[in-house]
Amino acid sequence: MSEDRGEKRPRPRGKRPRRKVCDFCVSKIEYIDYKDVNRLRRSINERGKILPRRMTGNCAKHQRQLSEAIKRARAIALLPYTVE
Amino acid sequence: MNKYEVVYIIDPAVEDEARKELIAKFNDLITGNGGSVDKVEEWGKRRLAYAIDYKTEGYYVLVNFQAEAELPKELERNLQISDSVIRYQVIKQIERKVGIKPRAVRPAPVAPAAEAAEAPAEAPAETPAE
Repeated sequence: MSEDRGEKRPRPRGKRPRRKVCDFCVSKIEYIDYKDVNRLRRSINERGKILPRRMTGNCAKHQRQLSEAIKRARAIALLPYTVE
Repeated sequence: MNKYEVVYIIDPAVEDEARKELIAKFNDLITGNGGSVDKVEEWGKRRLAYAIDYKTEGYYVLVNFQAEAELPKELERNLQISDSVIRYQVIKQIERKVGIKPRAVRPAPVAPAAEAAEAPAEAPAETPAE
């Protein structure tokens, strides 16, 4: 085989994607409080949608808690359901 | 006895005294039915994230209490009846599980081994890029 193909799979551009870690695990949060609006605000996009795990890198356990907390916060008008 | 937490939003148009009476009424309802109020926290007037009945502001009250399982239903019924309460939410607080052993910490040698395997793979990959 040709020698210039020696190395395996060169990435076309940029570095290899960094493995994301769960913010909540890092800060050792056991329970995500629905009243903590500032923290929850970071986990929704500008339209008020909950960010998916593939973007935030949250672990499954915390993502479940987070979505519950955001939904509770929405119910008592601490967070919006939609932003136009 | 379970631990609960209720947040309710009172119409900001309600006067201070009527509001105090209302809060006291709900607290009495809890204590009068065999519950106990642990904490009452008034957040005061806050902007609502979205308009409820064309209102953009609301007076938030948070109450932590302990009660039997039947009480939240009765409390919700009363909150629903009151015209000055524009939104409420009762939540059962999770109790920390006790008696579960924490998972054993993995032995240390795993981490250096993984790093050693990764390092040579990275080094040749970077050279052609330059």
